[in-house]
Amino acid sequence: MLRYFFCCRVDEPGEMTEICRAMNQSLSILDQNFVLYPSGGIFWVEKSTLLIADVHLGKVSHFRKHGSAVPFKAIAENFNQLTRIANSFEASSICFLGDLFHSSLNTEWKLFEDWVNSRTEKIILVAGNHDIINPLKYEKLGIAIYSEIITEGFLLTHHPEEREGVFNFCGHIHPGIRLGGLGRQVLKLSCFFKTENQLILPAFGTFTGNYYLEPKSGDQVFAVTKNEVIQVC
Amino acid sequence: MPQAKTEGFISLMTQKQLHTLAKSWFKDQGWKPFAFQEETWEAFLDGKNGLLNAPTGSGKTYALWVAFVLDYIKNNPGYKTKHKAGLKAIWITPLRALSVEIAQAAQRFADGLETQLTVGIRTGDTPQAERAKQKRKMPDLLITTPESLQLLLTSKGYEKVFKDCTAIVIDEWHELLGSKRGVQTELGLSRLKAIAPKLRIWGISATIGNLDQAREVLLGPDSQAFKNSILVKANLGKTYKVESIIPETMEKFPWRGHMGLHLLEEVVPIINNSKTTLLFTNTRAQCELWFQKMMYKHPEFAGEMAMHHGSINKETRLWVEQAIHNESLKAVICTSSLDLGVDFAPVESIIQIGGPKGVARFLQRAGRSGHQPGKESVIYFLPTHAIELIEASALGKAAINQVVEDRIPYLLSFDVLIQYLTTLAVADGFYPAEIWKEVKQTFCFQAMTEDQWRWILNFITKGSQSLQAYDEYKKIEIEEDGKFKVHSKAVAMRHRLQIGTIVGDAALQVKYLKGGYIGTVEEWFISKLSPGDVFTFAGKNLELYRIKGMQVLVKKAKTKKQARVVSWMGGRLTLSAQMSELLREELYSANLPLDQQTRELQALKDIFDRQRLESIVPNNDQFLIETFKSREGYHHIFYPFEGRFVHEALGSLLAYRISLLSPITFSIAFNDYGFEILSDQKIDMQQVLDNDLFTSAYLFEDLQRSLNSTEMARRKFRDIAVISGMVFTGFPGKIVKNKHLQSNSQLLFEVFRDYEPENLLFQQAYRETFEHQLEEGRLRIALERIEKQEIIVKNCEKATPFSFPIITDRLREKLSSEKLEDRIKNMLRYLDKI
Repeated sequence: MLRYFFCCRVDEPGEMTEICRAMNQSLSILDQNFVLYPSGGIFWVEKSTLLIADVHLGKVSHFRKHGSAVPFKAIAENFNQLTRIANSFEASSICFLGDLFHSSLNTEWKLFEDWVNSRTEKIILVAGNHDIINPLKYEKLGIAIYSEIITEGFLLTHHPEEREGVFNFCGHIHPGIRLGGLGRQVLKLSCFFKTENQLILPAFGTFTGNYYLEPKSGDQVFAVTKNEVIQVC
Repeated sequence: MPQAKTEGFISLMTQKQLHTLAKSWFKDQGWKPFAFQEETWEAFLDGKNGLLNAPTGSGKTYALWVAFVLDYIKNNPGYKTKHKAGLKAIWITPLRALSVEIAQAAQRFADGLETQLTVGIRTGDTPQAERAKQKRKMPDLLITTPESLQLLLTSKGYEKVFKDCTAIVIDEWHELLGSKRGVQTELGLSRLKAIAPKLRIWGISATIGNLDQAREVLLGPDSQAFKNSILVKANLGKTYKVESIIPETMEKFPWRGHMGLHLLEEVVPIINNSKTTLLFTNTRAQCELWFQKMMYKHPEFAGEMAMHHGSINKETRLWVEQAIHNESLKAVICTSSLDLGVDFAPVESIIQIGGPKGVARFLQRAGRSGHQPGKESVIYFLPTHAIELIEASALGKAAINQVVEDRIPYLLSFDVLIQYLTTLAVADGFYPAEIWKEVKQTFCFQAMTEDQWRWILNFITKGSQSLQAYDEYKKIEIEEDGKFKVHSKAVAMRHRLQIGTIVGDAALQVKYLKGGYIGTVEEWFISKLSPGDVFTFAGKNLELYRIKGMQVLVKKAKTKKQARVVSWMGGRLTLSAQMSELLREELYSANLPLDQQTRELQALKDIFDRQRLESIVPNNDQFLIETFKSREGYHHIFYPFEGRFVHEALGSLLAYRISLLSPITFSIAFNDYGFEILSDQKIDMQQVLDNDLFTSAYLFEDLQRSLNSTEMARRKFRDIAVISGMVFTGFPGKIVKNKHLQSNSQLLFEVFRDYEPENLLFQQAYRETFEHQLEEGRLRIALERIEKQEIIVKNCEKATPFSFPIITDRLREKLSSEKLEDRIKNMLRYLDKI
């Protein structure tokens, strides 16, 4: 029995965004429309806003700084994926649901600055436990920081929250799902995990692990593969 | 000689005088030296290096320690009055537990000859104060582990400490040889050779198939040390006898299982009839369970029976070992923790529960009893399930013929090299040109190319092969004069903590609420329990109170409710090539007339009859495949009888080749007798045969591709990532859950696969899988054998006695040629149906 099996999504660089778009999942919550995207983001149609959680930028550099030689090329892939999802929706704003930056300031910040400057969307950060970089640095880039956002009956946070009368979008958990099938097959995948009043986004970053959840009845789980979002329960 | 003058009457002793000196001490103890001991003294005094082949409990410590002391006396005629402090000899032992006994024996002889020589121990258990004292003043003989030796090399000014060392002994070298700790030792020796010019290197090894190679690995191929070396063999004239425990009726004999508790009553008379009995189990969980059941069924043994395994606290273990010495215990249920060292003269009977999987290990255990020279060692074998009786029968023959396995040394273990270079860089720093020469002389790195060496140097200084913009990689820095040095205190600290990390699940300490340490359990086991749950550990029923940091706080359980027995994941063993061959021969003999079969096979008659109902017992010219359908899907079972590792490889290979025919998903299970390919689709066996899927052509290529779709290389990479320092396992006491380590090494594996597949450490994971896991050579021989056999496919209604143990095994490998999206959708359809 393999006890710990962690999987992470790694999209092949240079993949065609058109293919991905065809395999999205659409979802309606409180009369608002949302599109779930395979690399782990959600497009909120009415607000023209892209929601992305747990990118963990700077993590690779953080490891390298501490003597663990994680491949340098993995850094670029995070930014490529961000560009890909942003290009395919042309949203008016991008909202990061926490853990955007994994560690204290390191050289990846410069790459992040370049990326932000290359975008036209308004960028917002709902801060998470990993976001310890001075807020002034974000403000200089024109990024507004909030501890939470409430709008149209929706609560956007980093940590999962249960609050009366609102639907919560959040991250932090890095949800994953185990599937079993005939012939003792087992699959482990990242997923969007939806309960009655909450939707947890998968971790977006390339160098992040998963935490496997057991769905209860009534929960909806959308597994993500390289280019498809599939509802599994 | 000025010393001789001052002492007046003492002059340099001749070898003969030295021998006489030692012999008279032996005589005072009522002993007489063995021939191999004297042979070793002589070789050592002649300035030779060597390997001593002697079993545990044969007096091997005195063979080498006496040699060293005599040499010291020879060179220091004023030894009784003059004593110059400083390290003179090192004794490396793979197990901390053995150090105390070695120290006692060594001190006894040193004192007996009034040498003033001091003996000290330095292991992970040595208190900080003691270690600091040692640093100021080293003992003359230091007993330590490979890890602690490496740690000593991380201290500043280490060259001065070792420069006058004249001897290093590597005890239980056979245990280290086939492991990365062996590589660690090779590298440490390569450095010591350079800084201690008078060093003599000696290894002590139990009997293995490749003793000559063991000596070459220890001393370095083509080295001066190797040329000036000798192999000393202790010929103690031991004979072995295997006695299988067979129940009166075979009805209750299970088809699978590995606990063997159904035969518990059969061992009671053996225990009652001997002074002391050791019962060897294969796992710690089995050990716990046996102890628990024994106490329950035979309370009269209370106080006279104990348990010994690696996770029980040190004090208890030492107490048990002492109690065996004193003959105050009737029986001890143990694991491989009692395989090594410690001489137990009073032990009269040995019982092996379950297949020992290797002849060498089995004989070593058998050697635990009947210590008197020339006396036959009897070992009782208790099979845990029916098919293991075949193993018992094969073992009996192996013991007579004394067939033993090789231990395969590791080659080009770059992870260990990186760890070693970091060690040197943490201490005084190193110059690559100097170290390259030393490393190239080791067995492990003899074939390393200059390109690979440059790659390693780039990796530890730049974290990649070329400088990257915006990179902050920091570990080893190159100083102006070209010295490689670690400047960061944090890097040095992390490295020191990392040395000697045994890669395994995180160990949590089990303690009573009121205080009192009981032992360690693995995190995964405890994570399945909630407060209030009761589990059995170290023979006690304990109630989980709470988990605090790395500590599990428990109370004595009041209820008699069903308790879970602690289990550990520890590696499963595989049958060796020699053992597999014996096993096959034994199995084929089941088709002989009953009166020509061994007692064990005769006892299995009912099971063989049952097997023949729907299938066959194959002959040596037949290869059996069974198929049947169950609720789980379509089972296809193959019987090469080649041992677990070969079956894992063969299963993956065959599954891969079948998956090329059409998209299909498999799970693969395997044991020592065969493997199963399970799928939600039926495999067309005719197609398998028509396409010649058992061919040994394109073996390497196909195997490599099948590996990419399975977990084997990933698992190897985990150790590599930890040893090379890419994954940090955390500070002691601080909770860094091992889950993070695992996720890190799994994630690392994936980022390397996707972004840096040319990385030498990443490739090493595959190479190790081939060399140490898959045993490509054995696989090829197996395929060639199968190609000559007639393939017999039996379509059965249900599981046969042969297939049952395999299909119920939960450790499974996966392989698929279906698109991920299709697999998910298939699973969803399946879930809808049930």
